[in-house]
Amino acid sequence: MSYRRNFDVELAELKQDILRMASLVEQSIYKAMEALLKQDPLMAKDVITGDDVVDRLRYEVESNCIRLIATQQPIARDLRVIVTGIKILINLERMGDHAVDIARAAMCVCGRMPAKALEKIPEMARRVQLMVKEGLDAYVHGDVEKARVMCAMDDEVDEIYNLTFQSLISYMEQNPHSIPCVVYLLLVTRYLERLADRATNIGEDVIYLVTGEWQELN
Amino acid sequence: MLRRLQRLAITGPLMLWAVLTVLWVLSSAGYLSQTVAMVLGFFLALAVAVAMRRLISWPLSRVAETAGQMAEGDLSQTLRVYESDEMGKLAQSLNQMAQRLRATLSLVTEEKNRMQAILDSMADGVIAVDGETRVILINPVVEEAFGLNEEASLGKTVLEVVRDYDLDRLFREALDSGRPVKQELRILTPEPRLFRVHLTPMRGGQRGVVALFRDITERRQLEKMRTEFVANASHELRTPLTSIRGFIEALRDGALEDPETARRFLAIIDEETKRLSELVDDLLQLASIEERRRSFRRQPVELASIIQRVSDTFATRVQQKGLRLRVDLPDDLPPVLGDANLLSQVFHNLLDNAVKFSEKGEIVVRARQENGGVAVEIADNGIGIAPEHLTRIFERFFRADKSRAASSGGTGLGLAIVKHIVEGHGGEVRVTSRLGEGSVFTVILPGHS
Repeated sequence: MSYRRNFDVELAELKQDILRMASLVEQSIYKAMEALLKQDPLMAKDVITGDDVVDRLRYEVESNCIRLIATQQPIARDLRVIVTGIKILINLERMGDHAVDIARAAMCVCGRMPAKALEKIPEMARRVQLMVKEGLDAYVHGDVEKARVMCAMDDEVDEIYNLTFQSLISYMEQNPHSIPCVVYLLLVTRYLERLADRATNIGEDVIYLVTGEWQELN
Repeated sequence: MLRRLQRLAITGPLMLWAVLTVLWVLSSAGYLSQTVAMVLGFFLALAVAVAMRRLISWPLSRVAETAGQMAEGDLSQTLRVYESDEMGKLAQSLNQMAQRLRATLSLVTEEKNRMQAILDSMADGVIAVDGETRVILINPVVEEAFGLNEEASLGKTVLEVVRDYDLDRLFREALDSGRPVKQELRILTPEPRLFRVHLTPMRGGQRGVVALFRDITERRQLEKMRTEFVANASHELRTPLTSIRGFIEALRDGALEDPETARRFLAIIDEETKRLSELVDDLLQLASIEERRRSFRRQPVELASIIQRVSDTFATRVQQKGLRLRVDLPDDLPPVLGDANLLSQVFHNLLDNAVKFSEKGEIVVRARQENGGVAVEIADNGIGIAPEHLTRIFERFFRADKSRAASSGGTGLGLAIVKHIVEGHGGEVRVTSRLGEGSVFTVILPGHS
């Protein structure tokens, strides 16, 4: 196998590794929200222990990227593939951590969450999950337009975040006994909002990867 | 070809010589000027050269052109064969080759169409990948389930097409081990669904894996519902039984001696027994409706008279509770096809609920024609149903307010029976409600036609 061909294979394998990690993170987010909405502590635990695999994958793939830079000294698009790869890895790893945060919150509220307090959290979670999915789809297909559309969804998520935040606070004012529980829901909305921001970061990375230009979309 | 060349090599120059001789004789005899003879001679020589070129190379270029078209895949071309020389033979061979290719191709196409038809009509999803987990085939079930399109997916890795960590792992496991693998997977894209996946490594030289996907989401849900139903039914049956046994024990332990207490206890036992038998009746009715669903009696039924008759039976109860009952039925209601007894059960259950859960105001029964069928509305000013319960109230044993329902003495099966009967008649039942303001149940039954 020629030198260049070998390098191409390694770059393709890098993309596969990133997608593997992306799939794990998508699953973690989904399971964490399930754990919260269905009050399922076992599923929450699953998410928390599952994060080790995500972290391990991140370090493996990242050191692989550094090795590629050191041994192949890539330029132009090849360099962009590796650099955005590292950035997406970091974003994914942080997203995995947010999923763990949500799972921890789910464990804390388990069994005593007032259903009414949930408000628009399921709706917000659906949008965030869609953003993550679209962002990763944009990465798979190198689709700049998809990345842009996905990033635009962040505004809606922010809007729901503000509304939910306000209504949770007024819920706590009216039901002071529920404060220990609803505080965790406040945190969950915050984590969801951060997840959406991370998804936007991935969208920006995709645009840089394809066009070679940085665009602030957040 | 060679023979044609030989012939031309002799006849061409001979003709040219003859013509030139004639021209020379004519010009030397004074019939033609020397210049005209020269010009005529030049054109004649040119004509002979062009004719020779055409005769030799034209058939050759025709053959070359057709062969080129065949090479590009257009096998509908045939060459006309004029002569039996080498050129003729070449053309004939080309024609034969094209014909044979056409036959093979149609055989292959037919085979492919047959395979495609089999794949397309399979109820299970199919994904086949090569030795590097690149997709080489997917069928429409997979396209639909994962929101894919075959053309865009071919050549991509399975991870790019269906982004699922475990699925990718299973594919590689089957590839590496060469053994079949099966597992249940919940795949998130685009909607979370549960699949039973069978992966089998390909046999016969080619490296790759074929995976079959069966969607078991609904089946799992049904299984869960069934278990829940058994649990609920047992629970509902046990509650009155426990109470009956408790009071019997109390009677046996001495309460029987005190006639006043004994009478009170017996009344409770009687009440609980009634509840138990109502529950069993409802369960049996539900079971029989479910069983007969497809074989309901279908006779033209005048809904107005049924509704009026059912409403009349509630008159006393309505009066006792201080409510009002208004029945507003137009005269021109079309008849519906159905079982009169079952349909009166529907309105009985709905009115029973309306009376049970109202403390004030009015219960209104209205009917109207809708799309050739009949829509009956039963509206009350009762306690209403919370929005999060609206989708669940037709489930068996579902109770919006557990403490209240127990005192109201229902079995928790009334609305489930309503739903089953109405849907068994090809209709639907809808509900809108506001907590504290009342509920509106609408039964829509299709018309006679």
